[in-house]
Amino acid sequence: MIGIPTALLLGTILLLLLLFVAARGSVGARESTSRSDVPLLDDEAALDPCPPEFVARIFSPDDWKFVSETGSAQLEKLFRRERKVVALAWVHQTSLAVRRIMREHTQAARHSHDLQFATESKLVLLYAELMLLCGMLFLAIQSAEPQRVRGLAVYAGTLSQRLAQAQHDLKTITAGREFHGAS
Amino acid sequence: MNAAARLVPVQAAYDDLLQRSLSKISCDLARLIYLASTRDYNSGNYHHDGLAARFRPDVAGKALEIAHRQVFYQLSAYSLEELVEQLRIYLDSSHERAADVLRIWQKLEPYRVAIPLEVNPAVARLFLSNVRLALAIWRFRQERAPKNP
Repeated sequence: MIGIPTALLLGTILLLLLLFVAARGSVGARESTSRSDVPLLDDEAALDPCPPEFVARIFSPDDWKFVSETGSAQLEKLFRRERKVVALAWVHQTSLAVRRIMREHTQAARHSHDLQFATESKLVLLYAELMLLCGMLFLAIQSAEPQRVRGLAVYAGTLSQRLAQAQHDLKTITAGREFHGAS
Repeated sequence: MNAAARLVPVQAAYDDLLQRSLSKISCDLARLIYLASTRDYNSGNYHHDGLAARFRPDVAGKALEIAHRQVFYQLSAYSLEELVEQLRIYLDSSHERAADVLRIWQKLEPYRVAIPLEVNPAVARLFLSNVRLALAIWRFRQERAPKNP
């Protein structure tokens, strides 16, 4: 049985470690994708999470199966390299989109008079979970093939859509209240 | 005029474009190339004389833009196997030799300019990467195919 101070200490260390993994993942993904020969199309201000059907496509094992059936080592190598860059670009984009959503939410929350603790806590937890997932995905994609982490990527994609929807709903409600308050 | 009323001509122009032009094109890859070719390199605006004459230039432009984005997303959602098949249909319908088209596409990467504006960046990367892979697979198949005497 461990005492409360030890548990708190362990919790803090774990939290710092998770934050480090998330930050490392985001920076690493940005570096890896900007090194690629694909032009950077990211417009951070307008970045939205990638639609779920494309997340499933990026991490799909079917394409790998199709390429490996050719029996060409060169094609397999090319596929692994290409798909890794796309997968890392997706991780980078997701982490940017999630941060943008939270930034917008924080700005809106500063001016709000009726913040709900439960809703805010849920959003913060969702944000932390997503950032952690991005970090984990970055490390996993670097060490394994993208199709091996499909489940985790699809889950992160679904969560990012949920966060975007929650922020959108809150914005709509706040705008509605302000409209009624003004009239 | 409200937004719904404004959308009706765009929908009509889009249907007209689909019926008169796009349905006659052999595959989605060729549709994408065709739609991208109606976009001005400098302004990014879309032009189609016939469509603009039947509707208005701005309405025609909007319909082309919507169709371009739609075909792009459709094509990006294809599996690699499906994209290779699209490439086969495109090469078959081209008047150039398949080997020449492949060489030029691999060298100049003209499909890069076929990406519409304001699409999801990750999807754009997936599309570019998949076309590159599809070209490599085609090349590989061509090199392995027995040469005609």
